[in-house]
Amino acid sequence: MFNLLKNKPMMGRRRSSMGGGGMDGGGGGGGGGGDMGNACYVYPIRPAEVPALDPNPDVVFSRGVDMNIPLTMDDGNVVTMWGFSDTANGGGMDGMGGGATFPSAAMRVTEGQVAHTNLQVGMMMYHTIHHHGIEPDYRSDGVGHLSWDVNGSYTYQWRPTQAGTYFYHCHTNTVLHAEMGMYGALIVDPPEGIGTLFSGGPNYDVEVFWVVDEIDSSWHTLPWTAGTCGGDVGLNDLNPDYFVITGVDGSGNSAMNAPAISATVQRGQKLLARYICAGYHPQRLRLGGLTGTIYASDGRPLPVPVQVTEINAVSAERYDIIFEPTRTGTYLIETDIIHWITGEVLGTTRTRITVT
Amino acid sequence: MKRRDFLKAGSAGLAGTILGGTGLISWTPRAHAATISKTFYITDGFITQPDGVSVYFRGFSSSSNGLNAPGEHMIVQEGDTVRITVINTLGTSHSFVIDGMVDSGRISGGQSRTIQFTAGAPGSYLYYDGRNAPYNRLTGLHGGFAVMPQGSSNQVYSGSPTFVQQYFWVFNECDPAWNNAVRNRQTPSGRYTPRYFTINGLSGRPPGAPGAMDPAIDSMADPRTKLDGHLGDRTLIRCLNAGLAKHSVHTHGNHMEWLTSNGQVRPAVWEKDIVPLDGNGGGADVIYPFDPVPDAWPPMTNTTLRQAENEGRHSAYPMHLHDEMTQTAGGGSYMFGAMTDIYFHSR
Ligand SMILES: [Cu+2]
Ligand SMILES: [Cu+2]
Repeated sequence: MFNLLKNKPMMGRRRSSMGGGGMDGGGGGGGGGGDMGNACYVYPIRPAEVPALDPNPDVVFSRGVDMNIPLTMDDGNVVTMWGFSDTANGGGMDGMGGGATFPSAAMRVTEGQVAHTNLQVGMMMYHTIHHHGIEPDYRSDGVGHLSWDVNGSYTYQWRPTQAGTYFYHCHTNTVLHAEMGMYGALIVDPPEGIGTLFSGGPNYDVEVFWVVDEIDSSWHTLPWTAGTCGGDVGLNDLNPDYFVITGVDGSGNSAMNAPAISATVQRGQKLLARYICAGYHPQRLRLGGLTGTIYASDGRPLPVPVQVTEINAVSAERYDIIFEPTRTGTYLIETDIIHWITGEVLGTTRTRITVT
Repeated sequence: MKRRDFLKAGSAGLAGTILGGTGLISWTPRAHAATISKTFYITDGFITQPDGVSVYFRGFSSSSNGLNAPGEHMIVQEGDTVRITVINTLGTSHSFVIDGMVDSGRISGGQSRTIQFTAGAPGSYLYYDGRNAPYNRLTGLHGGFAVMPQGSSNQVYSGSPTFVQQYFWVFNECDPAWNNAVRNRQTPSGRYTPRYFTINGLSGRPPGAPGAMDPAIDSMADPRTKLDGHLGDRTLIRCLNAGLAKHSVHTHGNHMEWLTSNGQVRPAVWEKDIVPLDGNGGGADVIYPFDPVPDAWPPMTNTTLRQAENEGRHSAYPMHLHDEMTQTAGGGSYMFGAMTDIYFHSR
C-alpha cells in the first residue's frame, strides 16, 4: 500500500500528535487486517487542558465502544457494525466488550440539564463522541484535531439550551467510523417533558424515529485506522448495498412492523416523526400520501412551520414532522437514497404508518 | 504558456501564486456606480494533491504565469459597470459566463476579449467557463462573484439579515482521470469518481501533517477560508459549488442562518447546522453569527474566551462537509479534504 505519511514526523506546531508507530496491536472488530499497527493524525488528550467537571451533573451517559455488532440483513448476510455500548446498562466497558446495538443507545436529556457523557475506549484505539448539533466548549466537541481523540476515559460536559432532535457520533476517522454505525439519537426534551416538541411548540402522542442510512459492506472489513496514514482504501467512493432505517434493513418488510419506526395511531392523535439523515448520500423522504408539518429542523424551531408531502435532506439533517391524520388507512413511508453525483436512486427504505 | 513553464511553476512557486490571499473581505459601499475592471489570464498547470499526486488544472488566473483555481473572488455593487478582459494563453477555446449576467461567447486559443456588463441582482454567483461543460469548469475555470446591494455594506440582498464580514467558500472536487482527459483535449469518459475535494482550491492538513498551517496549502490556515470572528461578528459565507457532487455544509459551534438557496431568497430564515449545497453550480448564502456557543457549560462569555486566549488555547470549531467522502484525499487520509476551522476571539 502506498503509504505517504506514516514515516513523517507527527509533531504539530500548534498541537502535538501521535507518532506513526505508537499503535501496534491496536484496532479491533470487523475482521479488519491490514495496517492496524498504524494510526496517523489522532491526537491524545492533553491533561493540562482538560477542564474541571461540574461535580453535580444532572444526567450522566456512559458509553463504551463495541466494534463487533452483527447486523443481519434481509438476505441473510451479516454485516459487522461498530457502535457505542451503554456501559451503565450492561454494555461492555472496553473496545472488545460488546453489548452495543446499532444504532447506539439513544441519549435523552431535558433542556437546561448539565449533562456528562463519559466515553471509555479500550487500549490501542481512539474514538470520540461528537454531539451533533449541540454546541459546547471546544474541549467537549469531540473533534480530534481541535482538542483530542480519546483513548482510555474522557468525559464531555454540555448543557443543551434548545429542545429538538440531535444525534451523536464518533468524530475520529469520521468518514469510516460514522459509516460503520458509531452513532445514536440524541433527543433534547423541553421542560414540559416528553410529549412536547419544544416550549411553545406542538404536542405529540406517539413518537417514531426514522434514522435512515446506507451501508457499503465493502467498507466493513476495514480497521479503525484505515487510510489515516495515507493510501487508497476507497473512502472517497461510497457504493451502498444495504439501506437501513433505525438499524433495520429497510429494503423489504422488516421495518413495516418495527417498534418506534412504524406506528399505529388513532385519528385525532398526533404522531411525531424524528427523521435523521444518517447516511452520506442525499435522501428523499416520501410520506405516502400523508401531509406532515415540519416544526423544527436541526434542533431549531422553524419561524413558520411548513406542510410537506416529501422532504429532501442531506447528510446529518434532522426534521421533526408532526402528523395529524384524519383518514384511516395504511401509509407507506419511503426514503430514497440518492447518489450524490448522478442523482440515481440507489435504494429505498420502507416503513409504514397505520391510522385507525 | 509553454509546458515546461507550468511544470516549473507546479514544482515550486505555484502555491503562493494561487493563493495571494486577500484575507477578510471588507466592502465599502458607494453612492454611485463605478466601473470595475479585471483581467483574467486563462492558464494551466499542475497542483500537487495531499497524497503527492500532481493533477492538471486550468484557471482564470491573475497573472500570465500563475494558476488560480479557482480564480480570485470578486465583489462589485449593483449597477456597476464590470469590464472583464480575458486573455486566453492556452490553445483551447474558453468563455467567461455568469448566469443571468454575461456570456462572453467563444474565446479561441491565443485570443483575448474584453466584455462589459452591468452588475445585476445582488447575490452570490459563480463565474465560470461554460464551454465543454462541465469539464472546463471542473478543471478549475471558475470563481466566486458577488453583487452587493446598492449603497449597502452589510446586506446580502436588500432587507436581508446583516453581517459585518464576508467570505467565499467555493467547493470543487476532482477526478484526476477527467482532468487528464481535458489536458489531452479528450472528452472525459468513464465513471466520474472524485478523489480530491477542495474549498477555495485548498484541502485540509491536520496538525502535524506536511504543510499544516501553511496558508498556501492548508485550507484550515488560509485567511480567505478559515473564519475568524470576535463574539458577535456576524459573518456572511457565500457557499458555491463548482463540482458535481451535492454536499452537506456543516458548522460546529453555531448554527448558520440560511438565507438563500441557488440564488433564491428563502421564504424564512432557518437556523441550521447543516445546509444543503447542490452540485453543478449550486449556491447557498449563510450567516455564521459568532454567538457564544449555546450549549457550553460553564457558558462561553467574552471573559472565558479571553481566559482561553491568555492560556494559549484556541476556541476553534470545524466546518466540514458531512458527506464525509469529501474529507479524504486519494481514497484515504481523513482530514485532507474540504474542511476549514472557525476561530472564536474575545472582543
Ligand atoms: Cu470512532
Ligand atoms: Cu455530525
